[in-house]
Amino acid sequence: MVKILPKVLANLLRKPFTVKYPYEKVEPADGYRGKPSITKEKCIRCWQCIRACPDRAISVDKETKTPVIWLGRCTFCGECAEACPTKAIVMTKNFEFLDQYEK
Amino acid sequence: MTMVVPIGPQHPALKEPEYFRFEVKGEEIVDVDIYFGYAHRGIEETLARRNYKHNIYLSERICGICNICHSTCYCQAVERVAGIEPPERAKYIRSLILELERIHSHMLWLAVAAHEIGFDTLFMLAMRDREHVMDMREIISGGRVHSATNTIGGVRRDVTPEQIPKLMEKLDKLEESVKYYINLFQTDRTIKSRCANVGVLTKEDAIKLCAVGPVARASGVKTDIRVEDPYAAYPNLSFEVITEDDGDVLAKGMVRLREMLESIKMSRQILRELPSGPLRVPVDLKIPPNEAVQRVEAPRGELLYYIRSNGTEMPERVRVRTPTYASAPSLKPMFVGGTVAEIPIVLWSLDVCFACNDRVTLVDAKTGKVSVVTMEELRRWRK
Ligand code: SF4
Ligand code: SF4
Repeated sequence: MVKILPKVLANLLRKPFTVKYPYEKVEPADGYRGKPSITKEKCIRCWQCIRACPDRAISVDKETKTPVIWLGRCTFCGECAEACPTKAIVMTKNFEFLDQYEK
Repeated sequence: MTMVVPIGPQHPALKEPEYFRFEVKGEEIVDVDIYFGYAHRGIEETLARRNYKHNIYLSERICGICNICHSTCYCQAVERVAGIEPPERAKYIRSLILELERIHSHMLWLAVAAHEIGFDTLFMLAMRDREHVMDMREIISGGRVHSATNTIGGVRRDVTPEQIPKLMEKLDKLEESVKYYINLFQTDRTIKSRCANVGVLTKEDAIKLCAVGPVARASGVKTDIRVEDPYAAYPNLSFEVITEDDGDVLAKGMVRLREMLESIKMSRQILRELPSGPLRVPVDLKIPPNEAVQRVEAPRGELLYYIRSNGTEMPERVRVRTPTYASAPSLKPMFVGGTVAEIPIVLWSLDVCFACNDRVTLVDAKTGKVSVVTMEELRRWRK
């Protein structure tokens, strides 16, 4: 009984390991593969990203004639960002989103 | 008079569907039948319909916990088929992420095992310390679970010199906590009374039933693919193959805990000795007809990939043999003679992963009938 008292006190005063998430954010590490983002102006319409995507998540937008990513299918592998010659697609650190498409 | 206790497909110990049929006499288990196939996803056929590069990401998704083993094994098999050799630095990075994966998988095992024996404080502690290794994986590969680091002919991401001190620091923290758990396993009364002499697999049975990985090593069989069929950077790394003699749940736990220490040691060695050089070599994906087999030591044991190419960008056949599939027969001697209360922890002592397992298991009409058979029918079947 006496032996556990110091442990109990230490545990009572210990800071919790978890954080209060929506109020307190944890920044992902550099190079995190979050939501891919497309800069339409940079795109040269070479369609390398469509060839590289393993999940066929990228298609062509009918109006703007630029790639559009269906995020429901995207697995955030980063192959499209690697394949894009002009860096029009980059992987962002954003992991909190509800969008269905990235245009 | 015996009674049949069906467990599953919604299993109390696992989050995956699998069907067990226990025949019990009072509290004692006399016989057990295992039916696989509820998580069949047809992945092998899908693998044969996509090109080599896209398949990397599909193979990673055969199992979430050991995704790097799957992608490494797949990439190495394709490299062997194509006759290319990845650069040294890529091999070291592969070994590093493979060892981190072993640590995280064993930590998860420890956490769930603690939960199964009703020791939820240990569950919380193990999950907390597992966070360190998840952070390391995030730093190296950019994703907490799926690494997407392996590619055919090397790796896609580098370990930069700035990352190394951070990784070393986390390894120190991990080592401290693993040492604490080992001490706990050796001294704690609760763990001993629930795990010692429970679910024993003898050395003879382990050899006879072809058990693999930590399950075999806990029964005193010295088997490790990292030594027997070296791949990646393992020929240059110094490590010990951990074995225990008892074959019970406690021994299986000890093997995993001590393996974590070895993995930490190996990760340090890799970070110190990381050779410089390119990360990947270019590959022509039109691979001429050839075939190859590749083995990798996954956290659960031996993982095997067989690939046959036919001159196109798609493989003709991919066969995957996962460790749980190889170890499943050894569940029977572990269960028989035990009590019903031991079922969850004995099952989990195998570190079963049914998502891995059910890729190819044939589900025939008979299996569909199983759920309605009477005891007489069951007995007839067994003959
Ligand atoms: S990140 Fe991967 S899955 Fe997502 S769109 Fe790009 S290539 Fe496709
Ligand atoms: S690879 Fe880049 S430049 Fe080419 S189509 Fe895709 S986004 Fe546009």
